[in-house]
Amino acid sequence: MTGFLREHAPSVLVASLSSAFGVAVLQFVGVIRQMLAADPVTGESGTVAVFLGIVGAVFIVIAVYVGAIVTVNTFATIIAGRTRTIALMRLIGSSARTQRRAVAREGVLVGLAGAVIGSLAGTLVSVTTVAIGSATGAIPSDVAYSFDGAELALPLAAVVLSTWLASWVGSRRVLTVSPMQATGAAGEQSREEASASRGRSVAAIVLFLLGDAVLGLAIVVGLVSPFAIFVGLIGGVISFTGLVLGAHLVMPSALRLVGRVLGRSAASRLAAENAVRYPERSTRTTIGLVIGITLVTMFAVALQGYQNLINQAQQNDPEYYAGIDPAFVTTIVVFSVLMGFSALIAAVGMVNNLSLSVLQRRRELGLLRALGFTARQVRAMITAESAQLTAASVLVGLVLGTFYGWAGVQSMFGSITGSPGVAVPALPLPFLAVVVVLAAVLTVAAAVGPSRRATRVPPVVALAVE
Amino acid sequence: MDTAADTLVARVEALEKSYGPIDNRVRALREVTLGIRRGEFTAIMGPSGSGKSTLMHIMAGLDSASAGRVWLGETEITSLADDALTVLRRRRVGFVFQSFNLVPTLDIEGNIVLPFELDGRRPSGSEREWIDRLVDSLGLRSRLRHRPHELSGGQQQRVAIARALATRPDLVFADEPTGNLDSRTSREVLALLATASREYGQSIAMVTHDPIAASYADRILFLADGRVVRDLGRSSAEQISTLMLGMERAL
Repeated sequence: MTGFLREHAPSVLVASLSSAFGVAVLQFVGVIRQMLAADPVTGESGTVAVFLGIVGAVFIVIAVYVGAIVTVNTFATIIAGRTRTIALMRLIGSSARTQRRAVAREGVLVGLAGAVIGSLAGTLVSVTTVAIGSATGAIPSDVAYSFDGAELALPLAAVVLSTWLASWVGSRRVLTVSPMQATGAAGEQSREEASASRGRSVAAIVLFLLGDAVLGLAIVVGLVSPFAIFVGLIGGVISFTGLVLGAHLVMPSALRLVGRVLGRSAASRLAAENAVRYPERSTRTTIGLVIGITLVTMFAVALQGYQNLINQAQQNDPEYYAGIDPAFVTTIVVFSVLMGFSALIAAVGMVNNLSLSVLQRRRELGLLRALGFTARQVRAMITAESAQLTAASVLVGLVLGTFYGWAGVQSMFGSITGSPGVAVPALPLPFLAVVVVLAAVLTVAAAVGPSRRATRVPPVVALAVE
Repeated sequence: MDTAADTLVARVEALEKSYGPIDNRVRALREVTLGIRRGEFTAIMGPSGSGKSTLMHIMAGLDSASAGRVWLGETEITSLADDALTVLRRRRVGFVFQSFNLVPTLDIEGNIVLPFELDGRRPSGSEREWIDRLVDSLGLRSRLRHRPHELSGGQQQRVAIARALATRPDLVFADEPTGNLDSRTSREVLALLATASREYGQSIAMVTHDPIAASYADRILFLADGRVVRDLGRSSAEQISTLMLGMERAL
């Protein structure tokens, strides 16, 4: 049971975050609705409430989708680390399908645990925030807010289902484990690095382009209807799935680019090689962070774009937007909270993947220690690796996020009264600065745990690991 | 036994190593005292559990002793801190392992010059010449740009030998170097080690339980139950086997 917890803690955390997120968003939207209904000015126009409902739905879908993608990757990493055990089970006579089903069962358990923890945490956040808000006078305190509703079951069910599905997809590799790998004669890792199939690459490119086409359509439709955001959501999901599927085509180039900047010491050279030589492994490690940065950037760009659009619309049509300010501020607050949230998911994914990948390389690190790598050099190497992974992910994420965020704003707000039509994407500079600082902090934070563990193990023990 | 420091490249004195909880102590090494002579190819033999791998790990600074003292050349390593031990391993010790243990991310050349890189420098002119000579004599010239997994076991072990010899260390430790190889490749690898010792004066300590492997050595130390029980000169595989069988019966 402790083994289960240790291995799956990151996935449970991700599932909890997604459910907490879904529950909290629905509760907040409910609270804002109740607040607006009690307010005599905005109470009459249903527009703001409808927009909030749409925004809420969009974000829950994104959260569940991202959670699922991160979980697929975590499960794939776990399976890679379990190859020996699975091979042993196969050797004794268990079929690959049985093995995979066992993994999927773990997925359901993870999803259930996440849903329970998340719904509690999410409700706690909502209730606390509203209590603080009422006490400080930020929101009207004369309304009896309620936090329950049948719709809360939807994100929870979605989380359980998506986690189960993610564990099934992530455990694909179980099928390729040969019983021979249990005998110890099999070479280290060479098998794991078998490159991805051509079919996968083609599917990835097709999905990515198709998704982008749908996004383009959404932007056009967005000029007449805010519901184009749902078309855009579908386009975004398709396009991003294509990107995640084809990450092995993108990430190694990005990593190589960043690796050149790292310097020429033994530690940083080895780190650079590590990051590039195993495209599958480094892609797995970075994709979580790419997702996170993409999301955060998307929100920032969307927020900035929304602000620009509203400002211009306000200038074009001042009377219509007279009562918009409170709703505007609330929306900004909600957006900011969401940003912090997705950054958290991203950080968890990155830290988790780096430490698992270091864990799987214990023998290699033991060898380096035996050959004369000092503990400090091992730490420097892992930190350099972490920096390379972070920097490459941030680069890719910024580009993607800017595009998705712009497309999202266009499809949702392109049609509002007084809108200027198509606006230029805007990446706020303070946001960029914060991302760079946080990336640096994350680099160090992600490296601390794994490098401490890697250097604490005596080389003899590490070398004896089979 | 000769313990004069100038002829000994490594020695241990009253070395003890125990594992496990107090009430269930396993004494892997009991008061072992021995010396490895400079320029010789020494085999350390014994059945599984005799403590031979533990002895090697402690002599190489990979593991700590419970009691007793260990020297590499003039340096007493028992009291060294981790960083000093690491630098010592990097500059003065070479390793050849049973499972080759090459770094999978580096090509063959990268693996061979790794000890220099770890030291934060490039091989000097004369070191470069030495490495070139090793690469040629081990037949690795055409393989320099390959990755370890593209090579056969025998070739990988040659790379490991080249890496171990590259820095001209005081002592090369070989831990069952033929354990993962077929018998023909094993003979090649053993001949290479013997040649390195004879022609370049390289001191080598090889841990093995294979009498054929031990027959390539200049000297054979037998361990049983954590003690040195025999110290033999060059012997044939038959003599060694007979001796080992005799020891097994005596136990």
